[in-house]
Amino acid sequence: MNEEQYRTIFELTGYGREDFSVCLGCKICASVCTVNDLSLSVNPQDILLALFLGQEIAGDHALVRYCTSCYRCSNACPWGIRIPEVIRALKESLGLESPFERAFKGSVRIWGRVYEPYIFMKAGVFLLKEGYLKYMPKWTEYVSFHLPRRVRRLSSPGGLSDSKGRP
Amino acid sequence: MDYAYYPGCSLTGSARRLDKGVRTIFRLLGHTLRDIPDWNCCGAFEYGDRKELTRLSGENLRKAKGLAPEVIAPCPACSKNLKEANEDGGFRVYNPLDLFSKDFLSGLTMKRDLKGRVFTPYYGCVLLRPAETAIPNTSVMEDFVTSLGGDVTGEKVKDRCCGGNRFFINKWATEKLSRLILEKSKGPILVSCPLCHMALTTFSRNEKIVYFTDLILYAAGEEGAL
Repeated sequence: MNEEQYRTIFELTGYGREDFSVCLGCKICASVCTVNDLSLSVNPQDILLALFLGQEIAGDHALVRYCTSCYRCSNACPWGIRIPEVIRALKESLGLESPFERAFKGSVRIWGRVYEPYIFMKAGVFLLKEGYLKYMPKWTEYVSFHLPRRVRRLSSPGGLSDSKGRP
Repeated sequence: MDYAYYPGCSLTGSARRLDKGVRTIFRLLGHTLRDIPDWNCCGAFEYGDRKELTRLSGENLRKAKGLAPEVIAPCPACSKNLKEANEDGGFRVYNPLDLFSKDFLSGLTMKRDLKGRVFTPYYGCVLLRPAETAIPNTSVMEDFVTSLGGDVTGEKVKDRCCGGNRFFINKWATEKLSRLILEKSKGPILVSCPLCHMALTTFSRNEKIVYFTDLILYAAGEEGAL
C-alpha cells in the first residue's frame, strides 16, 4: 500500500489517522466479530493499528474478505469506531471488490437503481462457476421480470445526471 | 396520516412481498403512503465512500420534500442510510419496526390469535446496529407475538449476523452463519430484512422464514398472508 492509498482510505471514511490512535487494544471488537464465527481468528484492531502506523494490509486478510458489515464491533468499541466502513474503504481503494459489488455499482451508474436481472447477468459467470444455480428452486418467490426504470435526476459523481446524460 | 414512502430497489424486485405487506398494513390502518417520486438507490452497503453514500440517500430526501415530513423505508439498509443522510433533521425517517408498537397497530382488528404457536423473531444486524440508527424497541416482534398468546424463542440468535451481505461473494460464509441461526430456531423465523429472508430461506432445510409484516396481516385476518 502506498501513501496515496492510505490517504484515500482516510478520505473515504472521514476518519483521520489520529482517530485510530485511541484504540486501546481491548480486543472487544475481536470478541464479538462475526468473522470469528467462521473460525477465521481475526482481530479487527490489527487493521486500525496498521492504518495508524502506516503498515501494509494484505488484500487477502480474512477481515477484508469476509467482513459482513454486521456492526457488532462498532457497537462494542468504546470509541464506536465504524470498522466495517473502514474495511469497505480499504477494499475500494485497493480495488478488491467482488464481481457482485462491481455489478451493483454498475447498475446504479446506469439506472440510478439496482436492477436485479442486470446484476445476475453481469455476475453470471461467477454465479454459474460458484454453483448458485442449485438454489433456484428456493428462489421462486424472489425471481420476477420487470423492465428497469431509469432515475431521471441523480447528481452523484459517477451516477446519472439528467435524462439526457448531462451533468 | 400521510407518510413519504421509499420502497428501495429490492422491494421492487426480490422483496415484493415485504413491499406489499407494508403497504397493506398502512392502508388498513388508514394511513397514506406517498411514494417518493424518482427515488434512487440508497447505496446499501456497497460504497466505501461515506460522502457518496450520504449523497445518494440525501438525494432521496430532497426528492421527498413536500410529500410528508415522515419517511418510511422498510429495508433496514435503506432506513439506516436515509437516517444517516438526514443530517439537518428535516425529516423523521422510520423503518416500519420503529413504529409497529402495540399502540400503533391498535387500529387493526386482530381476528386470529397465536396461542400454542412458537416463533423465532430474528432482527439480524442493521435493525439493531449501529446504535444511532437502531430501532428503539428491540423486542417489538416478541411483544407482538406474546400479546396474541404466542411464544417466542431464539433470544441468543436474534442479533447474530446471517451473513447475507456476503451471499453473492463468499456463499460458504453465508451458509455457515445462516445455519447457526437456523439450527437454534423453533417455529417460523420472523424477519424484516430482504437479505436475511433470502439468506435464511436459501440455506433452510425445513425451517420457514416469514416476514413480520405477513404475521401481522395473518393475525389481522388477511387470507394468504402466511
